[in-house]
Amino acid sequence: MKRKLSVLLIVAMLVTMLGSCGTASNNKGGKNNSKSSGNALTVWCWDKNFNIYAMNEAAKIYQKDHPDFKLNVVETPWDDVQTKLTTAVTSGQTGTLPDILLMQDNALAKNITNYPKTFVDLTNSGIDFSKFAQYKVALSTVNSKVYGVPFDSGTAVTALRTDVLQKAGYTINDFKNITWSRFIEIAKDVLKKTNIPLLSSQAGSPDLVMMMLQSAGTWTFKGDKLYISDNPALLKAIDVYVELVKSKVLVEVNNWDQYVGTFNTGKVAGAMTGCWILASVQANKDQKGKWAVTNIPKLDGIENATNYSSVGGSSWLVLSTSKNKDLAIDFLGKTFAGSTELYNTILPTSSAIATWGPAGTGSNYEIAHEFFGGQKIFQDIVEYGKNVPKVSYGVYNYEARDAIGTAITKIISGTDKAAALKEAESTVKFQMGK
Amino acid sequence: MNARFKTKFKLSTIGWIFILPATLLLLLTKFWPIIRALVLSFQSGVGLNTSFVGAKNYIRMLHDNLLHTSIFNTFFYLLLQVPIMLIIAIILAVILNDSRLKLKGFFRTAIFLPCATSLVSYAIIFRSLFARDGFINLILMKTNIINNPINWLSSPWPARIVIIIALTWRWTGYNMIFYLAGLQGIDPSIYEAAKIDGASAFTSLRKITIPLLKPMILLTSITSISGTLQLFDETKNLTNGGPANSTISISQYIYNLSFAYSPQFGYAAAVSFLVLIMVAILSFTQMKVGDRR
Repeated sequence: MKRKLSVLLIVAMLVTMLGSCGTASNNKGGKNNSKSSGNALTVWCWDKNFNIYAMNEAAKIYQKDHPDFKLNVVETPWDDVQTKLTTAVTSGQTGTLPDILLMQDNALAKNITNYPKTFVDLTNSGIDFSKFAQYKVALSTVNSKVYGVPFDSGTAVTALRTDVLQKAGYTINDFKNITWSRFIEIAKDVLKKTNIPLLSSQAGSPDLVMMMLQSAGTWTFKGDKLYISDNPALLKAIDVYVELVKSKVLVEVNNWDQYVGTFNTGKVAGAMTGCWILASVQANKDQKGKWAVTNIPKLDGIENATNYSSVGGSSWLVLSTSKNKDLAIDFLGKTFAGSTELYNTILPTSSAIATWGPAGTGSNYEIAHEFFGGQKIFQDIVEYGKNVPKVSYGVYNYEARDAIGTAITKIISGTDKAAALKEAESTVKFQMGK
Repeated sequence: MNARFKTKFKLSTIGWIFILPATLLLLLTKFWPIIRALVLSFQSGVGLNTSFVGAKNYIRMLHDNLLHTSIFNTFFYLLLQVPIMLIIAIILAVILNDSRLKLKGFFRTAIFLPCATSLVSYAIIFRSLFARDGFINLILMKTNIINNPINWLSSPWPARIVIIIALTWRWTGYNMIFYLAGLQGIDPSIYEAAKIDGASAFTSLRKITIPLLKPMILLTSITSISGTLQLFDETKNLTNGGPANSTISISQYIYNLSFAYSPQFGYAAAVSFLVLIMVAILSFTQMKVGDRR
């Protein structure tokens, strides 16, 4: 009797197990159906106060003409977007992907080249890319096809504490259109007089060096060929970075929170990176009115060197597995590539500075920003953005950045520069399988 | 005869039916992916465009400097951290097993508690403890042990030491529980006899406790070694492999190969099999050395 009972129990267990599998897959099917039906779009992006907010505002604007339109934003951190995308595409489970996703510009070329059929070619989609900042369009162009609708600007800025500069006898204008040698000269003087360094960075992060590299219109690849150990701009940029660290005008910290902490607490009197940093700069309300923004220094003695560059930033991509491709394209075209109102709305709260030219005419762009002592920072940054040199980051961008970051750390701790860069080059070559 | 055979058959069938669901699930969710990964490790290419290349991925590992660095780091953690942790765990277990100790439950809980914290959150707490202006530097400066703050996580050797300290903090309590369980099984009269014969505390630890705990020591060292070989969370969250890849673990390198860099799943799978082979060899040697029944 007992045996019969146990057999019965096992059978019951197996049946419920299979049953639950069945219902689970049914549910999944149902979910997919509701997602792709009619006028709804699913979007992956990651920042509640920034890109998610912008997306929701865009939906409100689109809904005015398309009352049935529904937008479902799924908050997905960038690392997860990359992991989920890679997993879904390589396993063939593309049903799990959204209609639109936001991608870091650093990863655009890599993902588009690796999975060319996963993203919609927007070149002839009716979206006018000539109205965007051209350096942004260049980043999402692979094999002369444009895949991404540019979103936020990564235009590089130098943000400085004017009160600290004043104590040392300088103003923000002393930093405008200068070279790195001049910058280091002033920074040393400020350090001597006030004991406050002007810059900080995350140890091992190559962001600042890469920013200098782009300001000279070059990158780690020249066509398909690695361009590291024989790249004069890179050699110069590393020299500058090493001097910044050695002269103590730049403090190295270990992670992002500590980095933001350095200027929020006033231990460091400036920040130099993409303009999105200005949202973090404003975190300490006590420093209101004590900041100003200008362009970045340019590399000395390097051909094509400019005072403009870009760090970070992101773009919207439409997935070709989406059943509402046309709706997704139309939505992006009428909002992020066609609505001054949208960019004007999101600017004050999110500080998301547009890379779409006409947006700069919005009234909010003319605001004299109180935190920055009444400077019209948004207008200035849009102007800087027009001068950022065009480069292509390439498929092996993360490999090259990591290798250069490693090389910088080694050079600072005493390794010979040429040897460290040769090693970086061979590391990247190895990872490329060459 | 026939009836006996029938019962036997019936019994074994029922036995099989009992283990069948678990076996099927294991086959489906564990063994099938392992086989697929093995197949994958013989393929190469970027993203979706892969093709069979034979043993090329395995040969490639011989020339991969970053892989060699990550193996060196992982073995450094392994050789230093596992013995330290297990010795501390035994000592703690012996102390906590003392019948004269008061508040036993409190101490046991306190030492075991780190093990219940999430891997990510404790790594983040250690990161801020060891920051340049963090608590550890503050204490060392106030007590005049050092004059200038040490940038723990930005220098290769201090960063490795911090990872070892973090791992020891997190896992000692976990291993201690095993030893405590083992100690409960040792007859107190053996210790009494030893005491009468004039054995010191250290002698009875060496001659009684450790030999009788041998199966437990074997178990904990195998789990600790395989855990350390698969180390990921701590290095990812504490140092992110830096500075200059001096703390990167093998698992983090596999993650980078698959998700941070242009995905090379074939090569990543091959590196994973290298870890599997290392765990298998180390566990096998330990069982041969440790098991003398």
